[in-house]
Amino acid sequence: MATIQAAACSNVGQFSCSSAATPRSSASGVVSWLCPSAKFSTELRLSSVSSFSQATSALQNSWLVKQSRREVVLPGKVAAARAAAGGEKNVLIVNTNSGGHAVIGFYFAKDLRAAGYGVTILTLGEEASDKMKKPPFSRFSELKELGVQTVWGSNTDIGAAVGSAKFEIVLDNNGKDMDAVKPVADWAKSSGAEQFLFISSAGIYKTTDEPPSVEGDAVKSAGHAEVEKYISELGFSSWASFRPQYMTGSGNNKDCEEWFFDRIVRGRPILVPQPGLQLSNVAHVSDLSSMLTLAVQKPEAANGQIFNAVSDRAVTLAGFARICAKAAGKEVEIITYDPKAAGVDAKKAFPFRTVHFYAEPRAAKELLGWTSKTNLPEDLKERYAEYIKIGRDKKDIKFELDDKILAAVKQPVTV
Amino acid sequence: MAAAMASAISCAAATPAVAAQLQAKGCATTPARAVCVRVSKAFSGLHSIDLPTASVSASSSNARTDGAVKSSRVENRRNPALDVVASAGEKKNILMLGGTRFIGLFLARLLVKEGHQVTLFTRGKAAVTSQLPGETDEEYAAYSSQVKHIKGDRQDFESLKAAFGDKGFNVVYDINGREGTEAEAILNAIPALDQYIFCSSAGVYLKSDLLPHREIDAGDPKSRHKGKLDTEALLESKGVKWTSIRPVYIYGPLNYNPVEEWFFHRLKAGRPIPIPSSGLQITQLGHVKDLATAFVAVLGNEKAIGQVYNISGSRYVTFDGIARACAKAGGFPEPELIHYNPKDFDFGKKKAFPLRDQHFFTSIEKAQVELGWTPEFGLVEGLTDSYNLDFGKGTFRKAADFSTDDMILEKLGKKTFVAA
Repeated sequence: MATIQAAACSNVGQFSCSSAATPRSSASGVVSWLCPSAKFSTELRLSSVSSFSQATSALQNSWLVKQSRREVVLPGKVAAARAAAGGEKNVLIVNTNSGGHAVIGFYFAKDLRAAGYGVTILTLGEEASDKMKKPPFSRFSELKELGVQTVWGSNTDIGAAVGSAKFEIVLDNNGKDMDAVKPVADWAKSSGAEQFLFISSAGIYKTTDEPPSVEGDAVKSAGHAEVEKYISELGFSSWASFRPQYMTGSGNNKDCEEWFFDRIVRGRPILVPQPGLQLSNVAHVSDLSSMLTLAVQKPEAANGQIFNAVSDRAVTLAGFARICAKAAGKEVEIITYDPKAAGVDAKKAFPFRTVHFYAEPRAAKELLGWTSKTNLPEDLKERYAEYIKIGRDKKDIKFELDDKILAAVKQPVTV
Repeated sequence: MAAAMASAISCAAATPAVAAQLQAKGCATTPARAVCVRVSKAFSGLHSIDLPTASVSASSSNARTDGAVKSSRVENRRNPALDVVASAGEKKNILMLGGTRFIGLFLARLLVKEGHQVTLFTRGKAAVTSQLPGETDEEYAAYSSQVKHIKGDRQDFESLKAAFGDKGFNVVYDINGREGTEAEAILNAIPALDQYIFCSSAGVYLKSDLLPHREIDAGDPKSRHKGKLDTEALLESKGVKWTSIRPVYIYGPLNYNPVEEWFFHRLKAGRPIPIPSSGLQITQLGHVKDLATAFVAVLGNEKAIGQVYNISGSRYVTFDGIARACAKAGGFPEPELIHYNPKDFDFGKKKAFPLRDQHFFTSIEKAQVELGWTPEFGLVEGLTDSYNLDFGKGTFRKAADFSTDDMILEKLGKKTFVAA
């Protein structure tokens, strides 16, 4: 058994490991881990490949570090040796080619490789399409380097894309309704998959006087709900559904905090639909990937469960603007307004839902032993640094809706 | 006593399973002691509604309709195996500062039932004991014959040593302390304590854009609850074994703070309910009986030493939602809600609304995970208990005052009311 030398890390809290190893100077099987506090790094050297996956599983379970602060160097030959040794389970991620959820598959693939699983990510559409020029797809070389198989194809003919490859675990991170997901679920069932996971949406919860929305609460009759019911009845050894809200993280396909940074760097006010204290949830995408990975590692615990895939702190709409401004090191003026009175569609004028949209990740904590690592004040600093690095602050952006709202807000009100 | 006996029997039978459950959750247990919490058993006589678990979930506004969900994970983390009351641990000699007004009334009863010796220290303004609504004569007789009382004024620091320094108290429940100096005076009077359990307040938390408040969050040195924060710091500095409980808004029968009372007055009068701003402000109500069981859960609990716990309901609630929940609890029709901008009014010294105009709610996870405690009451269920045992019987603490309501209604051009 391998010992993990992690004595230098003082900020781990839940760290526990039962393996013991002798340090070696050889480069094979080296994994570098950065502490959450980013002050220490821990090197893990193992004397044998087979204990590597055990040890990394143990580490993964007990010490879940955010993607941006964790470096996993998995030399290709180690992964290949492990695959050859057998006993490795394979995961198929069926991934959407656009939108807020696209980035989930990217992080999940990386976490799975670190945890010792074989991964294939099937992105809908064609590799040559324009959509593939945007993140996270533009960064798929990172996945390839880790030994992830990247293929393209259709959700209605998965066999054509993956051939005879066998997958014990399938994640649908693509569909919102039966038309899109049924073919994937049916294929998974008929090809003998043990576990089926689905990325649903916390948007399906019915509004409530008593937030938060907790797993088990009433949902609207939406496509996602129908899909969840269908999957639950297909007879997988383990199935689970994950209901996210909003996500932030490098590689995001859809703007989140960028909308706020666009205005903050240009000295424009942030216009928030009244009253401004509506609660929402923005999670670092690594919180979702760590939750999904735990469900794969603990299929019995995850079976039959709904998991709210969110961080464990809600944020007000105006508060998110303030945190973005602080992350950017700039002042910001926040103006609340009534979309109807301003004659704008709130859905187009503001990036988040304007009602309380508030779920809590109680099931994941209770059943999977998952913890949230999202830290918006810190995470958004990293996002802002990237925003500047790619030169988006220099981009010429038109703020037509903002100007329309400002004009309406400044209108004297006739009583 | 029969109820307590029945509970003790089920406790003995369940103990090994209970201890295993709690140890799995990381709770400290000894073979002799299983942390217990089941208000329906503890307060069987006082509980106006004896609903089986199934109908409780159905009555809550968050009833499950999603049939696909496996119900191995239960709302509020209830576990029948934890349905026990008695702790078989060491019996304590408890001094309770307070105990005759609200929280202490319920807590003292639980402690006496558990076999501890309980002495209340009050100025005697309120009767030392009085029968609670819903309490049987037998239960009341059992309690009043066992609970003791010392009369005195905790503000008179010099008198405390003589008052109770030599009575052998090994646990203090400080229910009504406000300032660090007050707790210090108690510690000076009773130097050797097994535990000092303090009733603090979630009001200490610094306002934040990120919610819920957690115990690790910063306190607000400028809040009017600063004394509570100072007391926690004082306890920590003294090296005494201490535990602090931070409730949010407490409600329940005999509440002297006009939380539910304020809404019930308006509902009974058939008046619209004026709510400041959007009514989307989110807060949290915790039933006093659940608070009492939490206070019991930390007693003699090594894991609780040096710890702070948020204690309140499992769900939060919007201001509009409280109005609707009170209406449901009292069997009133859906109320008319009037929203107004408080900045447009000068109410003088009067409060137009009983709750702070901001989000104010906490996560109770820490207590649930570390203590194995969980609240029994859902909001509507708890408000119904309060209504049936107190406000619905015509009793109240503060008389109805609709003057600020009428100011609001008039300014907004709504029909004003004349009492029938």
